[in-house]
Amino acid sequence: MDGDSATTDASQLGITGEYMASSHYVLQSQDGEEDDGEESLNDHEDGGAKENYREQDIYLPIANVARIMKNAVPQTGKIAKDAKECVQECVSEFISFITSEASERCHQEKRKTINGEDILFAMSTLGFDMYVDPLKLYLQKFREAMKGEKGMPGVSVGESLSEDLTDDSFSNPLQAGIITADGQQQNVMVYTTSYQQIPTVQQIQFS
Amino acid sequence: MSHNTPDKDNQTSEAKKTISLPISRVRLIMKSSPDVSSINQDALFLTTKATELFVQHLALTSFNKSSGRETNTLDYSDLAKTAETTETFHFLTDILPKKILARDYLKTLEQMQDEEADF
Repeated sequence: MDGDSATTDASQLGITGEYMASSHYVLQSQDGEEDDGEESLNDHEDGGAKENYREQDIYLPIANVARIMKNAVPQTGKIAKDAKECVQECVSEFISFITSEASERCHQEKRKTINGEDILFAMSTLGFDMYVDPLKLYLQKFREAMKGEKGMPGVSVGESLSEDLTDDSFSNPLQAGIITADGQQQNVMVYTTSYQQIPTVQQIQFS
Repeated sequence: MSHNTPDKDNQTSEAKKTISLPISRVRLIMKSSPDVSSINQDALFLTTKATELFVQHLALTSFNKSSGRETNTLDYSDLAKTAETTETFHFLTDILPKKILARDYLKTLEQMQDEEADF
């Protein structure tokens, strides 16, 4: 076998746990880094692993994740730090899992943009069909709120917008009248994004 | 209590309140999948929302599995156990390996080698 510095001294390795390995296992090093999990991944010849090709490990902020977890468990329950970090990684895995399934379906149907249906279908296929109905409801509420924001009844936000939002994406800009200091009225076209975390794009045209 | 024209600001902030994860970060993660070109707004929203549901689902399921113990704390091993025993979370087994003692690992390795030698 290869000459990994194998030590049977568990105290040196700082390993906890009483479990026998079933299929996959990791030896956790003393400093508590869980990157060993990533390395052992690359050693597996296991196919279907999109995670082998992940360029960076992008995670959602741990504070947000922890808050959701906290609200999900009973009030008196506590959550260990390594559990929070772990769920953070699981979340990225989940997103990639759903996305690659949805993307595949998209390609099969010769489309370039992943839409809502692809996501819902992917969830159903991958065993998360219990999410589908609640999600449809949320989407409905979200769309209605977006309509309200734009002030244009009947604007369908569900069109396939490319994720690079350009000014063309908002064909019905809000109109605002502004009365300037010298009493003249100017019409202002305001392009806004209300749901994204990206900075607001504004263009002001003077008619 | 219901108005014909509810305050638009209220609706929008309500919509915002329904999400507690940063959508832009979710999009980043989605884009890191190979062969993904563009993502429609609905898809982005649905994925973000689904992720919240997923966190709740995973946390609660794992917590309930650990209820036999006294500490009332959700920890890594609960999550690993859930990934292994619950079909829905099987896809997580690669990133949630169970931790074992080194000597047990070596013992298992020896056993595996012995078995292979028999073929």
